[in-house]
Amino acid sequence: MQKNNSSENALSPDRRVLVIGGGVGGIRAALDLAESRRDVLLIDKSYAIGGLMTQLDRTFPTNNCDLCTVSPYLSQGARERHLEIKPMTSLTKLEGEAGAFSATLVTEPRYIDTDKCTACGECAKQFPEAVRVTPGLDPRAPTCMRYPQATPFAFSIDMANVTDIAALKKVCRADAILADDTRSETVMDVASVVLCVGADLFDPAVLDNYGGGKFDNVVTGLEYERIMSASGPFQGNLVRKSDGRRPKKVAWIQCVGSRGINKGDVPYCSGVCCMYALKEAMVTRERFGDDIDTTIFFMDMRTYGKDYELYFNRARDEYKIRMIRSRPHSIVETADTKNLSITYALEDKPVQETEEFDMVVLSTGFRVGEDTKNLAGVLGIDRNPYDFAATHPFNPVLTSKPGVYVCGVIESPKDIPETMVQASAAAAMAVTDLPVVPKDREMDDIFPLERDVRGQDPKIGVFVCDCGFEIGGVLDVDKLLAAAKIHPDVAVARAVGYGCSSESMANIEAMIKENNLNRVVIGGCSPRTHETKFQDLLQRVGLNKYLVEIVNLRDQNTWTHMNTPDRAQNKAVKLLNVGISGVRKNRPLVDHTLPMSQNALVVGGGVTGMTAALKLADQGVKTYIVERAPALGGLARSIRKTIEGEDVGVFVQGLVEKVAAHDNIQVLTRSIIVDHSGMPGLFKTGIQTGVRMNYMQIDHGVTVLATGAMANRPAQYGLGTFPDVMTQLEMDSLLEDDAARIQAMEQVVMIQCVGSREPENPNCSRICCQAAMKNALRIKEISPDTQIYVLYRDMRTYGFQEEYYRKARDLGVKFIRFSLEMRPKVVETDNMLAVHTHDFILDSDIEIAADCVVLSTGLIADDETTEDLGLMFHLPRTIDNYFLEDHVKLRPVDMAQRGFFLAGTAHSPKTIRESITQAQAAAGRAQTLLAKKEINLGACVAKVDPDKCASCLVCVRACPFDVPFINAEGVSQIDADKCHGCGVCAGDCPAKAIQLLAYEDDQILAKLDGLFER
Amino acid sequence: MENFEPEIVAFCCHYCAYTAADMAGSKRISYPSNVKIIRVPCTGKVDAIHLMKALEKGADGVYVAGCLAGDCHFKNGNLRAQARVDRVKKILTELGWEPERVAMVNMSAGMGEKFAETAREFTETIKKLGPSPGKLTGNESKAAS
Amino acid sequence: MITAEQKPIQEIIQYIAPYGRILLVGCNECVTVCAAGGRKEVGLLASALHLNSLKQGKTIDIKEITLERQCDPEYVEELAPYIDGADAVVSMACGCGVQSVAARYKTSPVFPAVNTRFMGASLGQGVWAERCKGCGDCVLGITGGICPVARCSKHLLNGPCGGTSNGQCEIGPETDCAWRLIWERLKELGMEDRYEDLMNAKDWRPGGAAGPGKIIREDLAQ
Repeated sequence: MQKNNSSENALSPDRRVLVIGGGVGGIRAALDLAESRRDVLLIDKSYAIGGLMTQLDRTFPTNNCDLCTVSPYLSQGARERHLEIKPMTSLTKLEGEAGAFSATLVTEPRYIDTDKCTACGECAKQFPEAVRVTPGLDPRAPTCMRYPQATPFAFSIDMANVTDIAALKKVCRADAILADDTRSETVMDVASVVLCVGADLFDPAVLDNYGGGKFDNVVTGLEYERIMSASGPFQGNLVRKSDGRRPKKVAWIQCVGSRGINKGDVPYCSGVCCMYALKEAMVTRERFGDDIDTTIFFMDMRTYGKDYELYFNRARDEYKIRMIRSRPHSIVETADTKNLSITYALEDKPVQETEEFDMVVLSTGFRVGEDTKNLAGVLGIDRNPYDFAATHPFNPVLTSKPGVYVCGVIESPKDIPETMVQASAAAAMAVTDLPVVPKDREMDDIFPLERDVRGQDPKIGVFVCDCGFEIGGVLDVDKLLAAAKIHPDVAVARAVGYGCSSESMANIEAMIKENNLNRVVIGGCSPRTHETKFQDLLQRVGLNKYLVEIVNLRDQNTWTHMNTPDRAQNKAVKLLNVGISGVRKNRPLVDHTLPMSQNALVVGGGVTGMTAALKLADQGVKTYIVERAPALGGLARSIRKTIEGEDVGVFVQGLVEKVAAHDNIQVLTRSIIVDHSGMPGLFKTGIQTGVRMNYMQIDHGVTVLATGAMANRPAQYGLGTFPDVMTQLEMDSLLEDDAARIQAMEQVVMIQCVGSREPENPNCSRICCQAAMKNALRIKEISPDTQIYVLYRDMRTYGFQEEYYRKARDLGVKFIRFSLEMRPKVVETDNMLAVHTHDFILDSDIEIAADCVVLSTGLIADDETTEDLGLMFHLPRTIDNYFLEDHVKLRPVDMAQRGFFLAGTAHSPKTIRESITQAQAAAGRAQTLLAKKEINLGACVAKVDPDKCASCLVCVRACPFDVPFINAEGVSQIDADKCHGCGVCAGDCPAKAIQLLAYEDDQILAKLDGLFER
Repeated sequence: MENFEPEIVAFCCHYCAYTAADMAGSKRISYPSNVKIIRVPCTGKVDAIHLMKALEKGADGVYVAGCLAGDCHFKNGNLRAQARVDRVKKILTELGWEPERVAMVNMSAGMGEKFAETAREFTETIKKLGPSPGKLTGNESKAAS
Repeated sequence: MITAEQKPIQEIIQYIAPYGRILLVGCNECVTVCAAGGRKEVGLLASALHLNSLKQGKTIDIKEITLERQCDPEYVEELAPYIDGADAVVSMACGCGVQSVAARYKTSPVFPAVNTRFMGASLGQGVWAERCKGCGDCVLGITGGICPVARCSKHLLNGPCGGTSNGQCEIGPETDCAWRLIWERLKELGMEDRYEDLMNAKDWRPGGAAGPGKIIREDLAQ
């Protein structure tokens, strides 16, 4: 593995991007840049990169362990040639301008040579006080590294606590202690800066009502994560700090320090706490017992992300998590039991309830720390009123200073998927300060020469990850290994903890070398996510990457059979036998490559499509925009103003003009896609274009899907029947065009969640709460005396939108909650509209006369388009017909089908700002693929044995891609660079003359043998 | 027969069914552990012989899980798989075995629920059929050899 | 090409019922191309036979081998090392192959696993149709390239019979009347006058009526 402190000269001195902050966002931005062959320096003030995410136990909405999902990215970081990582480093000065900055960096002494340190842990064992420790509840963390997959994989000494440096040096067998390490300063030319420092978490100790930091059993959300985490202070055992016992009743209190106006509060919504509280409650019941009572006290349940509403429904309906709509005033600790009592009011009951809990989790949100405020000063960027970075109204990654870009929580509160999107967007923007076409550079890792294992008897190493509790909590790994050892050709069978951590990978490498293994079986996660990582490992030790089998012990075993550990154990033994038996037959294979088309196809000419196209075209990529409508602009054409007050029409027109004038963009309006073929990097798409529907074919290497969504218009609440019932979009136009009509309105009723969060469209449309606030405030501006009633289920003005919600309340807009069971009714009598609804606080039905009823109808997926394109391009969709990205958390703009990227409302409902960000991200991700210049087709291709071939033509006729032909020798020939690797020919060949490499018949039969071995 | 735990092999295509199985895992949806998955790039790769061999080696039931009709990553591999499953059903019928012991199912990558449901249904079918005819006569060890 | 199809499995099972060790022999020529007896079908049949014996609580030992061409003695010779280890041979080749094996290995019972149907041509993936009867006196030159011997149900040589209806044969609407096809083809070729030429009564001797056919090429035969 390449060490991360490569010498300065390895990178070109100028034209590099400085990424500040090594959390998931910073890592994503740095990797995107490095993959696009741009030089990057990633700095972090901590001694290991990874940021906040590495401290989380599991993350929503997949509820998997973060270490496993983030670690592939981290070690990827250590590998990338264009990426340099400097931990313990901060920026102290930035001079110059975009494209030619001079950055002064200060690196704190680590007192350890990362090149030499093997992280054996001897220093930590003997001088625990001298090594830096895991943050969290307990200072005596099991390891001094922040998490087992730490990058760089080395210790860090806190010299202030070292009393005997000579003794410390003596315990280090690697001679890695640098006693006289000093603070160093470097001045470096950088072209642009990406700021991704995240934010701090609110410390509830400043509040006197919840006992945060005072009561043993009151913890913050993050502390609760640490308690549950396998790498946390209690090794993943959920216990109370006061008595070490498992709590039976846990409560979460939402919005602690957020959405408030009291001492210590901030007015904005932290955006992620509803989801993390739901997750923590679900994981609690799932892992520690469904008899644990879990209760969430909340004001509004803000599950506005993609499919998050479904997650909330699952938490409530399947996991039976109790949801109480109330913001408790305080927590009282019972002296002897250290239990906590909470007094709260129920919406529909006039009296207060008091209830005792064993443990209370405070859902605290984000705060900008002092360091970050100072850093903003060093960078010279403006801050918003809450000290987050002030950004461009239509481009959230642009700061006030050209050449300085921002992403992640420091831009505004957000979760991991949105951080990943914004990070890719910021990386794409940072590239604009660099010269257009980077020089071709050799990119491939140089792996050692492969050992020739042909003819050798299998010597197999079996390595099983316990993956913390994910696998080890369900299976008896030792027994599993004992079962593996029965096979005489299994030379080594070991448990490797987190197999994907640097430490375990290094261990596995060492064991392969020591034992001269020639086949490897990994029992752990799905090969879909982790195969590449272990294939790389094999290559590093000189083994062909196809000599490994990944056995899916987690996703397809412990996760599904967690409640029946005996069965899971039994299945694990069998699955491992399948892997062992299969790997014996694995053969070394060679990957095939082809040059890639450098064109891009953008489907959809709305704001998202145009933004993506411009970004690609600016980087010299020939880009085609295919738009079904006669003109560009999409849904944004029907929006007049953003909530920030920006004129959307002017903005869209600007984009249209830029697109039309761009030399690298060809716009095809009135065009539909009619056929598609090829492979990632070499696509061919047929288009019928223009009024006469002429056919043309486009070659392209990547495709960006920006087909948008549709404004929903359900026939509910009298929409389409009563003339004064309209949608928020129509109100938006009315506000611009007919102020007099607005002024004439005495009362306006807005109804939220119309056609959303209902069985037929189960998710939240995300944009409607802010749209309602936008229009309510504009009505108030034009006509202050107009009374506005907003009937809502949960107000979801996430992030800084909360400010508009507060302002609306200040201006007297009335908010009345309703439930699906008691939904409002719109009636018309004598040409006058009235809305009937139930007021939960008054506990009575009320009637509101309305001059106008405005329905927040949100968006629905463009079912027909996503279905057609989904079929044509072979892309998966969600149950509500949006396109489904490859990984909801870590690859939010990449599609499962390589070469396809997703942006805008075709992904899920979102605002213009958010769509633009995702468009930039998609363009950036597309560039990382185009930068590779050639495509790796893998080795899974059909191979003909000419001696067996009967030239029967079956393969020629069966191949879905017309690849096989009968060659001059009179036998079938299948060119590896054309074969798609489906294996249909192999399955049909009557002479069994065709084998699909990596899935040969003897390999499949061997797997069956393994399964039925006894 | 009450406690009969069938051995079931599911040949799953990488792009849809295998992904759906992973999805079932990440949603913690349980299904019978009797089902063991063998991953193939496309169900079009699954040869009739693989299905027969699975039964021969000791499976009580075998199914092939591919993409939805029209959704195959490789155009029509799932249709080819269906045809082969049908052929094996015919052979089994001729041999006097229950053709229900082999099946073809289709699902998309996002359908974790469907994967689990299919696994449950197929396991139930096989449980009702009882052990493979090849195991009834006490030569189970032969079946596995 | 010789076109065959597999026998019902039960028939094969009956043949081999008394035997425990079977040599199952495929052929990589015609029967591979018509998907009746190539390497793949050998594997499938072997597997089916295994399943059958499993159900009956018996064991069966099957050696699978596929010869390049079962109708040539040199290829058939390749079975020699295995023949003693087998109680019976099951051949998946056409009748020529079965007999070649039976002729060479006189002490082993040899059973056919396929029915040899006809000499046919492929009409596309998985579809074969009879095109030649091997009559020994080809008339295609005067019938527009369409054989009345193979494709007329009555092997008529001078026009259709009275049973032709709407251009289809009286045996079933799925069968084209060969003479209708011949007429259309001749018209296309502008050779309608050929239709009037009378064909003499056919000499069936070269096609087998005078006993089994045999060809000896003096220049090649040793």
